Amino acid sequence: MTQGVLLFANNNSEIAYTDLAIFAAQQITKYLNVPVSIVTDSKLSISKNVFDKIIEITDNSSYTKRFYDGTDNNKTLHWKNTSRSQCYELTPYDETLVIDVDYIVNSSTLNYCWNQPHDFLIYSKYCDLAQWRSSAEFDHVSEYSIPFYWATVFFFRKNDVNKQFFDLITHIKLNWAYYKFVYQIQSTNFRNDYAYSIAIHMMNGFTHGVFANQLPSKMFYTLDTDFLIDIDGDTMKFLVEKQNTPGEYTALKTSGLDVHVMNKYSLLRCVNNE
Amino acid sequence: MSKGHVFLAQNSSVDYVRQACALALSIKKHNKQHNQTCIITNDDIPEEYKHAFDYVVPIPWSDIAKDSEWKIENRWKIIHATPFKENIVYDTDMILLNSNDHWWTHLSKHELVFTSTVSDYRNNVVTSDFYRKTFTANALPNLYVGAFYFRKTTKSYEFFKWLDLLTTNWKTFYQKFLPTHPQKFCSMDVNAALAIKFMDCESQVLVNNTFIPSFTHMKPALQGWNNVPIKWTSVLPSYFSNDCQLTVGNVQQQGLFHYVENEFLTDDILHKLSRHS
Repeated sequence: MTQGVLLFANNNSEIAYTDLAIFAAQQITKYLNVPVSIVTDSKLSISKNVFDKIIEITDNSSYTKRFYDGTDNNKTLHWKNTSRSQCYELTPYDETLVIDVDYIVNSSTLNYCWNQPHDFLIYSKYCDLAQWRSSAEFDHVSEYSIPFYWATVFFFRKNDVNKQFFDLITHIKLNWAYYKFVYQIQSTNFRNDYAYSIAIHMMNGFTHGVFANQLPSKMFYTLDTDFLIDIDGDTMKFLVEKQNTPGEYTALKTSGLDVHVMNKYSLLRCVNNE
Repeated sequence: MSKGHVFLAQNSSVDYVRQACALALSIKKHNKQHNQTCIITNDDIPEEYKHAFDYVVPIPWSDIAKDSEWKIENRWKIIHATPFKENIVYDTDMILLNSNDHWWTHLSKHELVFTSTVSDYRNNVVTSDFYRKTFTANALPNLYVGAFYFRKTTKSYEFFKWLDLLTTNWKTFYQKFLPTHPQKFCSMDVNAALAIKFMDCESQVLVNNTFIPSFTHMKPALQGWNNVPIKWTSVLPSYFSNDCQLTVGNVQQQGLFHYVENEFLTDDILHKLSRHS
């Protein structure tokens, strides 16, 4: 039974996702000690050979998204994020942990996946490091709709049921306008979190079910309106937004904690030691 | 010993008899073992739905709810009107979506059992006391009369006698026994809770950690929403399939569904239920 981590990295004009992937792979190798493969449309930008396999794809998606760098700065950039539905076909492993390149592994927590009985694990529990912010958008895909799951990190084994799950993701992606309407989703962009949430709901027979089980601990995150200012070993330092004072920040430090760092600009600066 | 499902329905501006027809039809559709139904009413039952009821019983004695809108004043008479020894009593604004035949196995071990746990449409257990401040403030047993069971025993007769007293004199009782957050209107849930408190039998009639009986409660403030609408029907799509399965907000509903809003019960739903029973 082969085991490994799969990363996705499709660069746009400003964010070198491949640089983030190299750093993420180094952290994963250090703390999880499993091979890491990358799926990318930007192979030529990979500057270090840290990957088990490099899997080339073409991503023609035309979505754009506003990328924030703290509260005051943002840019609208090309967002190529739709190839996740192909995980099942693309992964070279029997047991795969898919991790976003902006999810920084600082512990061996995720090694839990390899020795447990469930074939699909994902996060629905979460913790915003800023604490004070409303996080209702991460409880349900919309106020009156179904539970929200994070496609940021998930684990799956290759089997028929999971094959159906990823086929369903592809179907939802192809019919996004319909599903967005049916599930009362406000965002116009296709978003993996929503597609995964809908597919899990469907796999559960449109009610509470046992298809998706919880990854260990919670999804800890900072938003793209916060800053990552330093990474040193398993320690990360952040400036997170203050309540009621936009543009002002509180410093905080994490140690040995896996964190989803949504501000890619600040993550890139730390990764590239700028 | 005879077992059956009982509803008291008196029309006002709301057609409660029509609701009872839908509930009885849904019971007939899903229950194969125990599907005897009884409606207690003085109102006419539409010809096309008469087959949903095995017993049609007039309200005993005089109608003391003649002038009321909510029509709860005659509830205490149910034990005197029902033909069954064992009864599950329902509010009329409910439909059954799966068999609840299995409830009897559990309920028959008791004399009187109330719903103690309800769920929202996403199948989460309701913990909010938004509509139950009186219960919290006055430490009343947290029961719901939306669905409850009784066997004709001395204790059950005593309960219904208390219900009579409480319903007739609710203002006096509420003033004396609900000093904090007193309910401003006569509520059957509150009356039943006070009755059980007076009878000192809470532990016998509320069976914790079971969902028998239980129902999905669609009052909007119980749904875990931040923006609570006046009616759930204004924000949630619902779909009732040809084989009588209900989806609300894309969530498959199961068990007993307390829809609360009369507008939910369309003619289409009634026709589909009628075809299957």
